[in-house]
Amino acid sequence: MRVGIVGAGFMGETHARAWAATPARVAAVYAPREEPTRKLAQQVGASACRSLQELIDKVDVVDVCAPTDRHAAIGLQVAAAGRHLLMEKPLARKLAEGQELLRACELAGVQLLVGHVLRFFPEYAAAQASVARGDVGELAVLRLTRGSFQPWAGTSHWLTDESRSGGLVLDLMIHDFDYAQWLAGPVESVYARSVRSREADSPGDYCLALLRHRSGAISHVEGAWAYPQPLFRTALEIAGSEGLIEQPAESTAPLDIRLARQDTEGADIVAPTSPLAEDPFVTQMRNVYDVLADGATPRCSAADALAALRIALAARKSARCGRPVRPDELGGVAD
Amino acid sequence: MTALRVALLSSAHVHAAVWLAGLRQRPEVTVLGVADEDGARGRAFAAAQGLTWFDSYAAALAEAPDAVVINSENTRHAALVEMAADAGAHVLCEKPLATTADEARRMVARCEDAGVTLMPAFPMRFSPPVIAAREALLAGNLGRVYGCNATNQGQLPAHVPWFIDPQLAGGGALMDHVVHVADLLRWFFGCELREVYALANRILYPELEPQVETGAVVLLDFEDGSFASIDCSWSRPPEYPTWGNVKLEIVGERGLLTLDAFRQASTVFRRGSPGAQLAYWGSDANQGLIDDFVDSLLQGRPPAISGEDGVRASAIAEAALQSARSGEPVRLQNERDAP
Repeated sequence: MRVGIVGAGFMGETHARAWAATPARVAAVYAPREEPTRKLAQQVGASACRSLQELIDKVDVVDVCAPTDRHAAIGLQVAAAGRHLLMEKPLARKLAEGQELLRACELAGVQLLVGHVLRFFPEYAAAQASVARGDVGELAVLRLTRGSFQPWAGTSHWLTDESRSGGLVLDLMIHDFDYAQWLAGPVESVYARSVRSREADSPGDYCLALLRHRSGAISHVEGAWAYPQPLFRTALEIAGSEGLIEQPAESTAPLDIRLARQDTEGADIVAPTSPLAEDPFVTQMRNVYDVLADGATPRCSAADALAALRIALAARKSARCGRPVRPDELGGVAD
Repeated sequence: MTALRVALLSSAHVHAAVWLAGLRQRPEVTVLGVADEDGARGRAFAAAQGLTWFDSYAAALAEAPDAVVINSENTRHAALVEMAADAGAHVLCEKPLATTADEARRMVARCEDAGVTLMPAFPMRFSPPVIAAREALLAGNLGRVYGCNATNQGQLPAHVPWFIDPQLAGGGALMDHVVHVADLLRWFFGCELREVYALANRILYPELEPQVETGAVVLLDFEDGSFASIDCSWSRPPEYPTWGNVKLEIVGERGLLTLDAFRQASTVFRRGSPGAQLAYWGSDANQGLIDDFVDSLLQGRPPAISGEDGVRASAIAEAALQSARSGEPVRLQNERDAP
């Protein structure tokens, strides 16, 4: 299996490393900027391509790690060429784009896999398995937290441009929206508040969203791009009729190193980490490989990814209009 | 005033023993006894606590107490407050002050007319970690506050059945647990709420066939644009190592403040007992509340928490229940702004 990676930024590199642990081979890399493309291609022993079409012609699978607003155009070209797609989350920037991607891939008879990697993080996967076994009974209240500093603050990076990335809600919180629906099923309504929805030029962002699932369960989802560097924390709690699962932020950081600062400014800031025998991105890529090579069931379907996008777009809309929004009733132009 | 004669009205709420213990710490206070409309409950409480038993509220008030502490079921607060006010007794009233804002307002007016103090029992205002968090906020350490993610989760107090009786409690987890943190947030942020949204369900503790919400989360909008959520669910199972929690995570432009008000506890494991237990060693906020009530009366000053604070908290809980029913956010009526 030959893989082409589109995008040579942080996620392109991360995926390239993960592919290396599978039998697939990264054969081609393409990004608009020549230098990062050449560098990543060299790292993995792939061809550096000068166009998307050149990459498509060299591979069986295209792994899209491009900016979110480019997902749809790239994906449609890939599907039209009959290549399988692995799309980094979120599926697309807009609902209509996501819907079109699903249609195009179905028509072309190609796989559309979406990188909701949270489903492969061991603490989240273990909690899901526990819920699926019935350990906590019927789900009542889920609490999901994810926060970090503002990435690329003060730069013109695409992630800081909400029209391109969808911001905190579409880029970060969508992990937990997807996880919530994985456990508690379809979401009927979303109510949210965010700082950016009121102050577009705020230096950070913070958002709280309440989801009402069709089952009656409630999900409380918190997202922050407002912590000081290098803090990154996640937490989950699942309360049901028969029990409770707690996964506080501290438990994902078994290693925390605090050192006296040396003379070089900032050199000794070390983030708490969750060392694992296998990087969750590798676990994800093994599943992606098994789906494409052996017809295994994807852990996150294209329909799941579209549903997660609907929830995130509903949260953005609710934060702006101040009212609960039903994800199923969003128009295609929702952004 | 140099001495206080205090009567307890009702022992329905589990806090009755807590307030009594606080009063007994104060040499200026004489506890006259307890009255309770549930004679069996009241007699048992009086016997267990070594208190005089009055066979009616009127009999207790006939002793002309300087003050009363009201520990009845939520929906019976109003009648007892009015009796106390008519008898000229100052009032410390268990939270929520009332189950509707209108009723709470009538209680405040009645006490104002009678010239007696009405203090709602929000002991968290006297928790040293809470006070330290507020001081950090007021010092501006966080910069402008974006929002707050709070929990006041707990075990369902199943041994006191009226907590899940809609007629007596006026609601479930929303009525029991929203008001504490809502009061703290008003106190922290120094501003009022504009809107309340809530989701609720009855999935937790299914064996009790609850007729009130056992799981619920509210999202609050403040006048200054900040927002906060409170998870007030009875989502701690009976096996949980402690009754529950009060936690606030406040995010602002300069970072994150996390407060776990009951974190000052040791984890104790005992051979032969199932699971861990938390042994709290932090300071006693309940005593702080009692001390402020007692001192305010002795010194002739207003208590730290006003009847109006109780009205606001009750309005928030009432709006949350209304929102959970309608599925829509509920705008709070700011009667002071009305023409």
